[in-house]
Amino acid sequence: MTLNVRTAAVRAEGLSRRYGATRALDDVSLTLDRGITGLLGPNGAGKTTLLSILATVNEPDAGQVSVFGLDPRDAAERPEIRRRLGYLPQELGYHRHFTVAGFLDYVAILKEITDRRRRAEEVARVLAALGLERRARTRIRALSGGLRQRLGIAQALLGRPDLLILDEPTAGLDPEQRLRFRELLSGLPGDPVIVLSTHQADDIAAICPHVVVLLQGQVHFTGTPAELAATAAGRVWAACERDARAHLSWRGGDNRWRHIGDNPPAGAELVAPTVEDGYLLLSHAAGAR
Amino acid sequence: MTTTDGGPALPGADVPTRARDHGGGVAAARAPRLRTVLALGRVEASLLARSLLVLAGLLAGGAVVWWSLGPAEPLWWNADWRIGSGQLVLGMAVLAAAQLAAGRAPRNAMGDLYASFPATAGTRTLAHLFSLVGAAPASLLLIAAATALVQLRGPIGAPSIVALAGGVLLVIAAGAAGVAIGARFPHPLAGVLGALVLFLSSGQSHLPWAAGAWLYPWASFSDQFPVLPGPLAGYPPAAAHAVELAGLAALAGIVALAVTVRGARARGWLAAAGIVAVAVTCLAGAVQLRPIPTADLNHLVSEVADPASAQRCTTASQVRYCLYPGFGRQLPSLEAPVDGVLAHLPARPAQPLTVRQVATLSLPDATLTHGHPNRQVSRWDARVQRAPGMNGAAPASAIYLPVGSWPAAGSQLADAHFDLALAAAGWAVRIPPQAIGTPGGQVFLPCVPLGQAREAIAIWLAILATHPPPSGLQAGLGTGTGIFGTEVRNTFVRTWNYPGMFDSYLMPPGGGPQYTAAGYLLAHAMTNLPEQKVSHVLTDAWGKWLNWHTTDAQLAAALGIRMPSVSTRVTLPSGKTVTPGPGNGPQAPLCTT
Repeated sequence: MTLNVRTAAVRAEGLSRRYGATRALDDVSLTLDRGITGLLGPNGAGKTTLLSILATVNEPDAGQVSVFGLDPRDAAERPEIRRRLGYLPQELGYHRHFTVAGFLDYVAILKEITDRRRRAEEVARVLAALGLERRARTRIRALSGGLRQRLGIAQALLGRPDLLILDEPTAGLDPEQRLRFRELLSGLPGDPVIVLSTHQADDIAAICPHVVVLLQGQVHFTGTPAELAATAAGRVWAACERDARAHLSWRGGDNRWRHIGDNPPAGAELVAPTVEDGYLLLSHAAGAR
Repeated sequence: MTTTDGGPALPGADVPTRARDHGGGVAAARAPRLRTVLALGRVEASLLARSLLVLAGLLAGGAVVWWSLGPAEPLWWNADWRIGSGQLVLGMAVLAAAQLAAGRAPRNAMGDLYASFPATAGTRTLAHLFSLVGAAPASLLLIAAATALVQLRGPIGAPSIVALAGGVLLVIAAGAAGVAIGARFPHPLAGVLGALVLFLSSGQSHLPWAAGAWLYPWASFSDQFPVLPGPLAGYPPAAAHAVELAGLAALAGIVALAVTVRGARARGWLAAAGIVAVAVTCLAGAVQLRPIPTADLNHLVSEVADPASAQRCTTASQVRYCLYPGFGRQLPSLEAPVDGVLAHLPARPAQPLTVRQVATLSLPDATLTHGHPNRQVSRWDARVQRAPGMNGAAPASAIYLPVGSWPAAGSQLADAHFDLALAAAGWAVRIPPQAIGTPGGQVFLPCVPLGQAREAIAIWLAILATHPPPSGLQAGLGTGTGIFGTEVRNTFVRTWNYPGMFDSYLMPPGGGPQYTAAGYLLAHAMTNLPEQKVSHVLTDAWGKWLNWHTTDAQLAAALGIRMPSVSTRVTLPSGKTVTPGPGNGPQAPLCTT
């Protein structure tokens, strides 16, 4: 792990945010550089709040954010950040009476792509990228949930953003679509900064070179997926019986129990940890505190 | 602080702005805000123009214009304002549609996404305001359709561009109000309520409507445009009202921007613009409240009280037609039925006939005379009360046509032609046209040419002159379960209501004699005879037939036909038949001159 403060694309320092008595973020600091960063955390961990702050939609109660060296609090610099941003909020409604292409065209204008020809090219490009060409003239109200999610991702990709913030982008996608999505993100040209939040540890393992685990409004881990998995090394066992002493136990597809804990169950076999194991162990530890 | 692996630094990541090629980032190609406003405005304008709400508003507005113009005389100084009433309905729809558009993002849970775009809320609001040009085609279409309707009917006067433009401004102002409402209240009900307020602000029953009526977005009250003999400057104060509407539109736009724009400097500009808009609106309001100049009202009252001083008279076939300036194109429509009667007349009366327009101005009227002393208004009122036709009567040699009541086309025009022909025939056979006062002097009743030969002759002449559809004539007899009647000398007399009798085509409305069912039936029988035969009988003893003592039975006998019988029996819903007896109502006088 190297410290790369001077040239970090996105830097957050000491971010805190409260909603009434609830502390959504508590002194969060992190830096993001090009490539894909996965943000893991349970519901209520503060992922959405953090992403909305990075997307200049929300303001922190305390702390600072710098995006490409620009300060979102500065009214003059904020639009410049937004010109380089693609954002998919967690819960996105749609203008249901718009067609797919019409909606993307509309969003493209909001992203200041005002030249008609260029806008048409952009819309065609993202439609193709998300496999929505045949749905271009379909009204949004006629789309399934998965197609709408793809449309949400498509709008975020408009304008080839330098910073792509995707809040749970794989929610609602079927396995095939998730695979395609991973492929899409991995193949985006221009090496943008991508940060995505998800519950799916396998998504993180598959496409994210960097992982940040956010628990109870605090950053508990930052590193590679391998490093996250490694945090559970020597503490994951497979056994035929459930062990009550384990921190976490669940039955796997092979009908064997997988245990995460400090003590090996009787007759258990030590297995290689996964990203999910590491994440679960961190969650458990944070909960125990 | 935590860190992530950085890898090679993002090229130029620490450079706030930089030029990029197309492949490197389209978003970074910064479009001027104005271009975003125009592009977004174009899309929103297209959505607004294709909105079902606006389409419905256009249809409803068209229906209002159609209904309010009705079959009446197409006077442009009346039509101008009626078209605006249609624009008010369209404006309500545009308000609701604009509110829906402006509140679309928060209503569809897209507030967070929109907040991440470089186009700010202020830019979007500006685009929504710009998009109101999308409502202009609907407004202009309404004007075009209404204009075509008026033009097709043979318009009197010329359209007021300012009054018509006021209608367009009304639609734009309503749309701007919709944007302002939508920017703050995205719920669809807010737009509906806004449209309702706009509608109620233009009603008449619940609002004071003296001079201040002009300050409402579009006053839809019982004005006197349709009875004016010509346009009256300042009634309505169209130019000032258009300025007021423009001021209100600007004010609504400023409020919409104030809700969405951030930044002290922008708000400062908005405050300054708001002050200017308020000042312009108030100034326009003050101008509208100015009284109509005394000289103009004096002129109007003179035109009404003494039509001859203003009218131009034309003589055709020895009949004088006296019309207000601008109404000359109606002359052929008036001449046709009168000439039709004259063509079948054996001899003319000694007194020549004059067909004259009269204006039925009603005073006092606060929207007309506001700002003038009561004494002055009373003097005007006294003069107007002495105007021809205002006492409910017309001289025997004159037929009065109220301004604004002569239909332009359709069955109403046919009825009006018949009414005029019947009035001319009444003059020809010397049936007194005026109503006769009762002993109390409060009620005027038309006289009844009961059993008189001249009654059937008058009706026969009118039928020959205009050839009305027989069904319309027959309907005037009533049916077996409902007949018309009056009392003459304590006897129930079945009457005949001719087509258009109560439609005020002539002055006084329904004036002239009350014709009887027997008279009509004899006239109808006469139409079945060879015209030459009837003419011969009439010509032989024209003076005799005009005598009120000569009976219809004598005429029937001279023509060699049986006098038609008239039943006065009525079948009640129970199936029982009864004959109405004498009641306690006023007795209709017999036409005895």
